[in-house]
Amino acid sequence: MNPRVLVVDDDDGIRFLYQKELSQAGYPVEGAASGSEAIEKFSRGSFGLVVLDIEIPDMSGLEILSRLREIAPETPIILNTAYSTYKLDFQSWLADAYLVKSSDMEPLKRKIRELTESP
Amino acid sequence: MDTTNLKHHDGHVLIDPVVEEGLDSIGVGLFRLNETGHLTRFNHNAALVLGVDENTGWDDRHISRVDRLLGSGLGENYTDIIDNDSGFVRRDLRCTNSHGCYVELDLCCIPVKDGPDRQPGVLGILYNTQGRAGHSDEPAYLRGQLRILTDVAAALSSSQELKQILKVILIGATASQGVGFNRAFLFLYDENTDKLSGHLAFGPSSAEDAAGIWRDLDAMRLSLGEMLDPEQGGGDDHVDPITGLIADLSISLGNDSLLSSVCRGGTWVNLETTSEMDPVTRDFADRLGTRELALVPMISKGKLQGLLAADNLITGQPIRDEAVRLLQILADQAAVAMERARLYDAQRERSDELERINRLLAESQDQMIKFEKMSIIGELTAAIAHELRNPLTIVGGFANLMLKSDASDEQRQYLNIISSETQRAESVLDQVLDFSKASRSDNRAIDFSRLVEQNLGLLLGQLHSQNPDMVLSLASEKLSVFGNGDQLSHAVYQFLKLVAEDLIPPGSAEVRTESRNGRAVLWIKINCPEETRDRITGLLQRILKDNRTSQRLTILVAGETIRYHGGDFGLAIGDDSIPSFFVELPLAKESGNESTSTSGR
Repeated sequence: MNPRVLVVDDDDGIRFLYQKELSQAGYPVEGAASGSEAIEKFSRGSFGLVVLDIEIPDMSGLEILSRLREIAPETPIILNTAYSTYKLDFQSWLADAYLVKSSDMEPLKRKIRELTESP
Repeated sequence: MDTTNLKHHDGHVLIDPVVEEGLDSIGVGLFRLNETGHLTRFNHNAALVLGVDENTGWDDRHISRVDRLLGSGLGENYTDIIDNDSGFVRRDLRCTNSHGCYVELDLCCIPVKDGPDRQPGVLGILYNTQGRAGHSDEPAYLRGQLRILTDVAAALSSSQELKQILKVILIGATASQGVGFNRAFLFLYDENTDKLSGHLAFGPSSAEDAAGIWRDLDAMRLSLGEMLDPEQGGGDDHVDPITGLIADLSISLGNDSLLSSVCRGGTWVNLETTSEMDPVTRDFADRLGTRELALVPMISKGKLQGLLAADNLITGQPIRDEAVRLLQILADQAAVAMERARLYDAQRERSDELERINRLLAESQDQMIKFEKMSIIGELTAAIAHELRNPLTIVGGFANLMLKSDASDEQRQYLNIISSETQRAESVLDQVLDFSKASRSDNRAIDFSRLVEQNLGLLLGQLHSQNPDMVLSLASEKLSVFGNGDQLSHAVYQFLKLVAEDLIPPGSAEVRTESRNGRAVLWIKINCPEETRDRITGLLQRILKDNRTSQRLTILVAGETIRYHGGDFGLAIGDDSIPSFFVELPLAKESGNESTSTSGR
């Protein structure tokens, strides 16, 4: 069974799109629209992977990344953002992957597969 | 000068023209006054002494006015001379004429009746006694010297130009109104090499030449002050041929020759025969073609500035010590003026340098404002691009999702259009974001050739499978441009990519950098087959002009980047009709033009 994926993005359209696309690919998906909601859901439930936007209204995505790492260091996290510049921010290096948002979902799904499949 | 009336008296020749010329040459002045005491005729010497201008009318020149200069009392006695038919003689009249020359005169007047109507009048003779040998009147001689010094000092103090100062000293040395040497040679001292080098000389090259020069100078009738005035004759660029005698002459002072001791000791010498000379000084005299000469050092504040050598080769007159002493005084003044001129030049150079730096600062400030504006534009475009990214992702993402569902063929056609257009828009966003990211990096000096080399290498790596034939030739010197390295790199890459992907096949390209007119230039010469040249040229023109082509945005961004850096780009067609694409940027500093070739394939 595929692991559950937590999609953290304040844009409803993105969350909806990812939910549809990843569900079709066989991944159970839950969405979070803010940093606090993401941390709360991540603390309660067991997620196999997190897709995390960086520009979140109540909290920086990089800060959320650090908090999630403290809670479950082994859970893969993909930074998925409209900004390519954060790639240079060393905090983003805590993530397992960095992908710029695109209408072509294949690179994201490929990366999710890579990170969730057992070695 | 009209001397008609002087030549006839009572039907006889009064003054023979040959005699008159002879009188002129020995400094005797002749003049005639009419019955009312007005000056009607005069020869050159009389004009000189009386201070009247020969070229203008003289109707208003009454003896009473003219005699104010002489102070002879002729005006007061004029009626008596005519009425009583008596002569009038005054000796040792001393005055300074209107040309500023001090003269001592004997004056002799006799009543005459001449001309067709036997008009009564007075014939006057002026005899300049100052030319008598021995300077029996020492104060007068000293006043003459003082006048020379005053004129030369005035000329030196009014000029800051070294060239003019050197002319003043040479005119002062050689003019008959000055010290009166036949020839004078000026040498400048170079402290670094401890050598004198020949610079400029004044004087005739032969007796024939001398006759012509001195006759012309006499005809000009200039005072020394006038000769030294750059506006009146002391400012022309004429160089006497005798300068050629010393032009390539370099004299080392590192020996114990008389020349060296004059320069080091700071004291003039008057060498009356070559037997007094050591070999070095004798060679020097031989070079000038003279056996007697005066050597005068030019020293200011203990520092040697140069050397004056003067002689009377043409006339053969002995060189008087008094003349050399006077020349030394002039040389001392000139040395001070030379040092002042050099300081002035150094000051002016510093001032020019400061002005240049200020101008650069102002230009840099303008450039920084441009860069700052560009940075703001970059941030703005980035913000807009990010705002567009999510909607594009959602629209395109759902289009792709729907394509996987049971859509009709017509729906699939529409969805495919949405999907491909979304991808194109995303590609545009990537380019804009690359540009905006680049705009936030720092400005610095950039090696333009290196930047071209790096980007060409990157491009050739990425287009490995296409294997574009591009040969690189880089300027041998560093082409330093100032600006945002990331932006410029992005722009150059885009231009190279445009050529490599769309213009080269099936030909090749020469990529070359060079320095030209203060600009670093990148040339991309497209060696396409002759039959495709028009097509390539047309395509490039369309890309540069047509904003609907897909390449246009890339070129637009790259082009704006180049322009923001004060550069330009475009298409150039060579004499061989081969099209070249060029990019140019202002050089941060000057570079040469040589090139070396390397292969970039």
